[in-house]
Amino acid sequence: MKGYLGIDVGSVSTNLVVIDEEGRVLVNLYLRTRGQPIKAVQDGMRHVEQELSGSDIEICGVGTTGSARTLTGVIVGADTVKNEITAHAVAASHLVPDVQTVLEIGGQDSKIILLRDGIVVDFAMNTVCAAGTGSFLDHQAARLNIAIEEFGTLALQSTGPVRIAGRCSVFAESDMIHKQQMGHTFPDIISGLCDALVRNYLNNVGKGKDILSPVVFQGGVAANAGIRAAFEKALGLKVIVPEYFSVMGAIGAAMLAKSAVREKQETLFRGFAISEMEYQASSFECQGCPNLCEIVNITVDDEVLARWGGRCGKWETLRKTG
Amino acid sequence: MRLCVGDKEKEGDLVRVGIPRTLSFFTYYPLWKPFFEALGAEVVVSPISNKALLDEGVRETVNDACVPIKLFHGHVAALKDRVDILFIPRLVSIDGKVTLCPKFLGLPDMVRCSISGLPEIIESRLDLKKGRFELYRFMFRVGQRITDNKLRIIGAIWRARYSFYCYRKLLLHGFTPLEAFPLLEKGIIPPPKVNNGEIKLAVLGYPYALYDDYVSVNLLKKLEGQGVSVVTPEMVPEQMMKKASKKLPKNLFWYYSNRVVWASIHYLQDKSIDGIIHVTAFGCGPDAMTNKLVELEAKQQGKVPCMSITIDEHTGDAGVDTRVEAFVDLLKRKKGIL
Repeated sequence: MKGYLGIDVGSVSTNLVVIDEEGRVLVNLYLRTRGQPIKAVQDGMRHVEQELSGSDIEICGVGTTGSARTLTGVIVGADTVKNEITAHAVAASHLVPDVQTVLEIGGQDSKIILLRDGIVVDFAMNTVCAAGTGSFLDHQAARLNIAIEEFGTLALQSTGPVRIAGRCSVFAESDMIHKQQMGHTFPDIISGLCDALVRNYLNNVGKGKDILSPVVFQGGVAANAGIRAAFEKALGLKVIVPEYFSVMGAIGAAMLAKSAVREKQETLFRGFAISEMEYQASSFECQGCPNLCEIVNITVDDEVLARWGGRCGKWETLRKTG
Repeated sequence: MRLCVGDKEKEGDLVRVGIPRTLSFFTYYPLWKPFFEALGAEVVVSPISNKALLDEGVRETVNDACVPIKLFHGHVAALKDRVDILFIPRLVSIDGKVTLCPKFLGLPDMVRCSISGLPEIIESRLDLKKGRFELYRFMFRVGQRITDNKLRIIGAIWRARYSFYCYRKLLLHGFTPLEAFPLLEKGIIPPPKVNNGEIKLAVLGYPYALYDDYVSVNLLKKLEGQGVSVVTPEMVPEQMMKKASKKLPKNLFWYYSNRVVWASIHYLQDKSIDGIIHVTAFGCGPDAMTNKLVELEAKQQGKVPCMSITIDEHTGDAGVDTRVEAFVDLLKRKKGIL
């Protein structure tokens, strides 16, 4: 049976998904990237291989997405390397065919995607601020010594959420500390934080956008029941969290790989053996001009697989001879 | 003290006039260059923007200035030891109606306070609110800093005028300033460019953000590479700008901001574009208004997709790549190309 692998390597998590010809999810994995994208991908590949062993599934196409999509694409031999927005939109409209709004909050990115009749008509991403994204919630959970998994349930226990400034994560944190020193309870503070983050998201990322139902909420933060409830309260709409909310980018990448392979009839997939290879990433500063670009070298067994990071493109073209 | 062209020429040496390659450079370089050359000076332009220039600029400039202003300081620093005179005119109004961003008005002062060891600066004030011949009076004043020969100055003004006329024509033919400069050097004006990209985008923003590949992280080239043909505010004929300006009950206070908003109105009414990308520098005050106006216009006129890209000191172009790729994908899927 044919299977398609999608890999989404983000700042916080690395997700791998295998789908079949009909787009059903056969394997899904959610791992932490922990700052080592190559290692995370290799670990993930090892897991996927184990899960698939004994079945007759053959990987016929691979797609990558996420902020490390180019790197991952080179390592695994991807048939398609796509941006997160396209990948998320493809996955959402596959699982909820009539979806009109996708809210996605990940580790460092948050985005909104508007679809009409299955086609993306508008999108926006957070600009320079990471307030309201997963890494901020992670940080706050660690500071309060609460497991991030309990964050949402705690928020739901609140009876009267306090007001927290959500405009900036630094201000939000000082506000939370202030409220906690005043004697407010954990659930009220956390619930207030959820409201603040949603408010910030809607005013910043969702500014001026027509948010219509059905609304799909995905990305790692969708696991947080508190944020989900805050969205429903702020929008006055039902918010759907799909079953595979945390790996939607990877599902989208797998689906894009499926259509890419259909066109060219072959895959560039390098096989599961890549999880045992020694990949080395090194970087140097090019002294060719005053731009001093940071060039990244990806090598396997002393052979240069790819190079990037330069503005002029001279290192990229040296990849074969280099 | 005035540096006299005559004296220098007798020594077989030319006065070197330095022009920084940013801000009004993309609007006026084809006017200033032949002007100074006809006066008998040598024009020295700072290098194409790069990391070292920006780093230098960031060091010299007040902290909360926008990237283009910081970069301008870098360009000045790169020029200061290589020229006899720096040309940093005080551009107050160049359309006779509104002023430029306040930072243009204070530019010579800002530079003088921030960078030490500067050569002589020509900082003559250009304010076309004073009448239609003010540009020539301004050029005359500038010319007198270089030479005493009045006839020579008048001749230089005529030469500059012709070059500027050709430049405007090239822009209207759909060439970007970067494409137009070499054509101007060669003295050829090809027929209007035919747009044959799969999709057509209006890329709106200030010339110093759009046409400086370092600042824009190669945005125009990236779009071209994805099969997009691009139109910019510089390619809109003056009478169309005027027509577009009537659509708004009130105009903005700043020259370049008005051009961006009018260009968006023009291209939207024209219905020839598939989408708009607005390029804005982080922390740009006027753009707080400009951006919103462009966005509202795009929404009104049949919901044309509109995206804004914020540029700053970052050198990583991953953020821009993701947005541009997704935006182009969106438009291609909408058109059924993908």
